[in-house]
Amino acid sequence: MPTSSTVDLKLASEGAAKHEKAIGIWRDSFNRLLKNKMAVVSMVVVLILFFFAIFGPYLTPYDFLKQDLSIRSLPPSVEHWLGTDYLGRDVLSRVIYGARTATLVSLLVVVLSSLIGVIVGSISGYFGGKVDFFLMWFTDLNMAFPNLVLGVVLSVSLRPPLSRWMEQMYLSSLNPVFRQSSLLDLALVVAVIVLVAWCPYARLLRSQVMAVRNYNYVLAARALGLPTFTIVTKYIIPNAIGPVIVQMSAGMGSAMLTESALSFLGIGINPPIPSWGNMINEGLRQWTSAPHLLAAPALVLGLMTVAFSFLGDGLNDALNPRQWKG
Amino acid sequence: MNGVLLEVKDLKTRFRSRGGLVYAVNGVSFHVKRGETLGVVGESGCGKSVTMLSLLRLLPPAARVESGSALFEGQDLLKMNYRQIQKVRGGKIGLIFQDPMTSFNPVLTIGDQVGEALIYHRHASKEVALKRAIELLQLVGIPDPEQRIKDFPHQFSGGMRQRAMIAMALACEPDLIIADEPTTALDVTIQAQIVELVKGLRDRLGVAIIWITHDLSLVAGLADRIMVMYAGMIVEEAKTEEIFDDPRHPYTLGLLSALPAFQAEKKVRRLASIPGSPPDLRAQPISCPFYLRCSYSIDRCCLEMPALQTVRNGKENDHRIACFVNIHERSTVA
Amino acid sequence: MFRFILFRLLRWLPGVIVLLLIIYALMFYGGGDPIQIMFSREATDLFQPGNPRYEALKEKLGLNRPFLVQFGDYVWKAFQGDLGLSLSDGRPVSASIGAALPITVSIALAATAIIAIVGIPLGVIAALNQNHWPDNLILSSALFFWGIPTFVMAPLLMVLLCLQFPILPVPHGWSGVFTLNAIIPLSVAAIRPMALVIRQARSAVLDVLSEDYIRTARAKGLPEWVTITKHALRPVLTPVVTQMGVVMTNLLAGSLLLEIVFGIPGIGRLIRDGILNSDYSLLLGCTLVVLALVTLTNLLVDITYPILDPRLRQAQRGEE
Repeated sequence: MPTSSTVDLKLASEGAAKHEKAIGIWRDSFNRLLKNKMAVVSMVVVLILFFFAIFGPYLTPYDFLKQDLSIRSLPPSVEHWLGTDYLGRDVLSRVIYGARTATLVSLLVVVLSSLIGVIVGSISGYFGGKVDFFLMWFTDLNMAFPNLVLGVVLSVSLRPPLSRWMEQMYLSSLNPVFRQSSLLDLALVVAVIVLVAWCPYARLLRSQVMAVRNYNYVLAARALGLPTFTIVTKYIIPNAIGPVIVQMSAGMGSAMLTESALSFLGIGINPPIPSWGNMINEGLRQWTSAPHLLAAPALVLGLMTVAFSFLGDGLNDALNPRQWKG
Repeated sequence: MNGVLLEVKDLKTRFRSRGGLVYAVNGVSFHVKRGETLGVVGESGCGKSVTMLSLLRLLPPAARVESGSALFEGQDLLKMNYRQIQKVRGGKIGLIFQDPMTSFNPVLTIGDQVGEALIYHRHASKEVALKRAIELLQLVGIPDPEQRIKDFPHQFSGGMRQRAMIAMALACEPDLIIADEPTTALDVTIQAQIVELVKGLRDRLGVAIIWITHDLSLVAGLADRIMVMYAGMIVEEAKTEEIFDDPRHPYTLGLLSALPAFQAEKKVRRLASIPGSPPDLRAQPISCPFYLRCSYSIDRCCLEMPALQTVRNGKENDHRIACFVNIHERSTVA
Repeated sequence: MFRFILFRLLRWLPGVIVLLLIIYALMFYGGGDPIQIMFSREATDLFQPGNPRYEALKEKLGLNRPFLVQFGDYVWKAFQGDLGLSLSDGRPVSASIGAALPITVSIALAATAIIAIVGIPLGVIAALNQNHWPDNLILSSALFFWGIPTFVMAPLLMVLLCLQFPILPVPHGWSGVFTLNAIIPLSVAAIRPMALVIRQARSAVLDVLSEDYIRTARAKGLPEWVTITKHALRPVLTPVVTQMGVVMTNLLAGSLLLEIVFGIPGIGRLIRDGILNSDYSLLLGCTLVVLALVTLTNLLVDITYPILDPRLRQAQRGEE
């Protein structure tokens, strides 16, 4: 006569089997990813970006800040592989430093936004009811409104109070950190993009948590007294992580683009710190006479976003393969 | 006029999958006469649906018909080009699927879908097709058909949807209807209604029917002959009464023993089930697929594949089995 | 039907008000002092807090009232079409927006039309040829173009088509949708969202093709073109229309970059001017208008759903 505990054990072992199947799926997914040539190429490109982001500035031939007004707007030459900009700075060095800017911002954005989104989504999915209703209503509202406009509004309105705050902090503590306007730029840009980027993660996690909540084997596991932490790590995370990874990859490309757009408009990372966005803005002014100033950052930015695009797509195919039933 | 309508010889169908080839149908041969009802019985995965879908080339892209022939009204279905098979589908052979909810297009009306085959097969106009749809709905017992043709599938109940699907299959007055587990997704009471409906239609219209099911008792009252399939091949084929009175294949015997009703007759108390599970169809078929679960097996069973052979010549229907053992005498057959 | 529209509107309205409130609050508490901005070009020491002229002006402009009162007043006036005065040049904001809005909207509409006419069929073709060369070509191109940002594509196209091979004149300003001038901007506006629509359409078609009712249609012997156009494409419309709605909203707002690069006097350029001059009044007005347009688009998309999918309609006869 099967007792209730044996039934529970059977259900719980079902869940464990699903968990093990999940690990096997990782290897499968990785293999699928490797077979996708475009995705592999994109991964290599992204890794190269990271390399330059970390080590680039030490490898540049010139100091990216150094101005030399005697050699303004020179076309590419042997000494300056990408020429010089309108203040005589070496374009190549600035482009390389731009990689650091782009990577820093995107990584910070992705880490913070995914964290916030995951927490909000989990709370929403776990508690359901009114909490879920309001959180999702707010998330949808955020998602329905175009990112860039929201970003512009946030940036423009948050900047003055933040800079005032920094002035006060400097006056009270005399810590030179608070003098760095570039730090303010960075913090502002990251904060602004994070505020619009967390929503997809919230949606993802909410649906994952809600789906898992109803699985029989979770009920069984809880009946057996497994702590919530175990349930979370064994059942929710393996299933949710696939879509989250895809979103993160897409999110990095998107954050890079948004940062460039904001910098392009003058409300992101401002010169003299190079961002591909503000370099494009400067280059746009004399694109007919010195096209290399525009082309260099534009092409690099385009290359990176395309790479993230293909990578995200490859990850998606690897983690969620679709067969045509026909 | 009991001519042979469909004659299938040695049909083999394979699937390409990541783990290799799947041998779904391995040398299936059978026939269907005009007006007769053939029941095809077997468990999930035994190849009964794939066999029938192969005839009309409705298989998914990963599947291929390797060899065999299927003569329908004198022509080989398996050698037809796409245009020709399109004419057969719906026009000469009607198909009824298992799940009426997903088998209807949710954004088109029932009337549209029931009648549309007529537009393309009989070059009927839309009005004529709709009129016929009303007639058909009436035929299958759906009340108020003039109104219902304007409804969408989600507005019908499960039983009514299945009736509508039957109507849809009958639209072009086909000679043969293939019903793939038409009642599996329905309540038991509705199941009985549908079976009654089909019986009535068959008698009125004289259409031949291939009824695929895993429920042996269901098809007992409906089929003239029954074909039992296992692991991609036919293991036993005979008149309905003979299947129940005189089953000769160990698998058939196992199936019958598992029927509660059957046991009541024979006064057996325990609910028997066949031990083991179906074989992996990725293995090449070189021995009897039932070997490991069979209580009558001999050494020869794991070395050779038994062919379908006649054990008893009936007047109209031979009794054939694919087995090396005579289970009554426990001696080898042929 | 009218009730349906009303209900839908009521669903969106609270969100719009809340968003507006948040944005207004951000500008109110965050941005600089409006009076100092207005007179930033003049002698600034005259306009400091404490100076009687400053205080008088503040009182006159109603800037001393509590936040909610100012907000309510703003919304009320906005409903009547008065969006206040620009902080940089004193002109009524609604006039500036009124001049710029039709341009932005016409670009958005034209680009959406291009995307629908070109993108959706491409997506369908890709789906029908899954895993063969048309599909791979279309997909990779879509992915590739998606990755190129507007302000990269625009200059590149200009360099290519105006400098290298002088086929087209350098686009500047705006002279209407059906002019040579508009070709490059419209192409740039349409290409990225088109990539998205192509993928969505392809995905939707693939999903539908694996449904049982397609098998039924084939089993009835319907010609393949009927199966595709009648049975497969109709259910695809719902997700595609949703996507087009998203595209439209993005176009309305993303025109920001487009207009700056090509010098088109639309809403986007107004926003940029607002940023440069710290003209909060203008910015607020533009944001409000964009918000309204986005909401309208979403509303329209919502309304089409019951038309496209009968399952979403009210049951006429609740039987069974």
